Amino acid sequence: MANPSLEVKGINVSYGDIQALWDVSLNVEEGAIVALVGANGAGKTTLLKAISGLVRVQKGEILLSGKSINNLSPQQIVDRGVIHVPEGRRLFSTLTVMENLKLGAYIPRARAQYAQSLERVFGLFPVLKNRKEQKAGSLSGGEQQMLAIGRALMAQPKILMMDEPSLGLSPILVRTIFQLIATLNEQKTTILLVEQNVYQALKIAQQAYVLKTGKIVMCGQCEILLADEEIRKAYIGERGSKRS
Amino acid sequence: MSEWAIISQLTINSILFGSMYGIAAIGLSLIFGTMRIIFLAQGTVIIFFAYICYWLLTLLGIDPYLSILLVVPLAAAIGVGFYYGIFKEAAVLEDRNISLLIAVGLMYLMENLMMVVWKPDPRAVVTAYTSWVFRPFGTTIQFTRLMALVLAIAAAIVVFIFLKRTLMGTAVRAATEDPVSTKLMGINPNLVNAIAFAIGVGLAGTAGVGVATVYSFDPVFGFMFTLKALISLALGGIGNVWGALMGGIVLGFIESFSSYYIGGGWVDAISFGIFLLVISFMPQGLFGARGSMKKHKVKR
Repeated sequence: MANPSLEVKGINVSYGDIQALWDVSLNVEEGAIVALVGANGAGKTTLLKAISGLVRVQKGEILLSGKSINNLSPQQIVDRGVIHVPEGRRLFSTLTVMENLKLGAYIPRARAQYAQSLERVFGLFPVLKNRKEQKAGSLSGGEQQMLAIGRALMAQPKILMMDEPSLGLSPILVRTIFQLIATLNEQKTTILLVEQNVYQALKIAQQAYVLKTGKIVMCGQCEILLADEEIRKAYIGERGSKRS
Repeated sequence: MSEWAIISQLTINSILFGSMYGIAAIGLSLIFGTMRIIFLAQGTVIIFFAYICYWLLTLLGIDPYLSILLVVPLAAAIGVGFYYGIFKEAAVLEDRNISLLIAVGLMYLMENLMMVVWKPDPRAVVTAYTSWVFRPFGTTIQFTRLMALVLAIAAAIVVFIFLKRTLMGTAVRAATEDPVSTKLMGINPNLVNAIAFAIGVGLAGTAGVGVATVYSFDPVFGFMFTLKALISLALGGIGNVWGALMGGIVLGFIESFSSYYIGGGWVDAISFGIFLLVISFMPQGLFGARGSMKKHKVKR
């Protein structure tokens, strides 16, 4: 087995008295796409927040290429190349497209490569170049998702964590986003993908984890999970289109 | 005096008086933006710097307008000190009331320290130009009030350029809109908060010089100033430099005109009445919002 890029080992996370994650473990190997699926409230977002340092980990360990990043500040984690595209995009809607991209490259490591990053982002999303002086809030849903991903790319991610990138997008745009995820992965970005669109996510990823009420209940190769009767029933539905 | 001359004079007074409220309000707006609290000590801090200006003049003979070069950097440094010294720990708490209470405590502490150091009787900064007046077109403009307006506009321009043209300023605007997302950019929230305090208290330093040259002041004068800044902020809409400055000037108009046409005793009642109406029915202010009041629901 290759040296895992991101390794979560038995973590617990609580919000006050409510425990959200129980002994959760997960491996994201270098260069892989790993999908994290599960129902609403299962703890997918919490797991991403624990990795990016937004919530504290009470027990267990998070390792990046073997080194602990447990409870480092979000800045330190961003600096190590773990970039989180949050659910609902969380763009700075009153700021322009350019300003959002500039803040994406805020950390010194990324600032040094600002020009190359910008060229890459505008290459992937020409529409952002045309709208660079526009307020992010005035973009369409699809454009906003592109900006959210573009902003993350400005930080020169080694591992990109995307939380529901296809949420609220039209079927055509969903396809575009998944194609983009594949492209980014070909360009050597390791991806941890949280998706409600389970079928698509399992199609694109090599490995998947299923979270249920804060616990990992299943993990494995995506082909195997896709064939699993229980998974199909619970998360995909008969025609592979039902959202859990 | 003709009606026209009276209206011109009232208009001039409105702008000159209101600009001081305006810069106090810009400070409140920035600190509210990143910290989500009304910095109730703002007016008291302004009076503190008015005393510093008074001291620099009486003890060291430094001209008030020259003292800006000392007062503003000192004020900005004190702002950073306030944040790291007493607000930093509370800033991460979800309950914003703790930070608000710290601001209240700071206000009363400073007020009482000023009582001890400078005594409660009013002081005034008197220089050769305190009594200078211009009389364009039959109106009267006091030199010191005009200078206060110039200071307010200059301060607003500096803050505006910082917020618009620098990466740090962009980060402050981003944090005003979405603090969580700002953290995911690798931006240190403490740095952003400290900058908001540096600017907010730096503006209080500027306003302090303006106030010292125009008014006679005492330690408790500050809270009244905080309240006026708060009204200005409500009128102008939170999260907008020019809105806050304009809010101050609108308050200046309300005060001057209601004082002349309705009666001096009514001024504060009318100001607060308008404050309540605006904040209840137009919480985005008279000049429209820029989204900074938008609340993000944080989902697990």
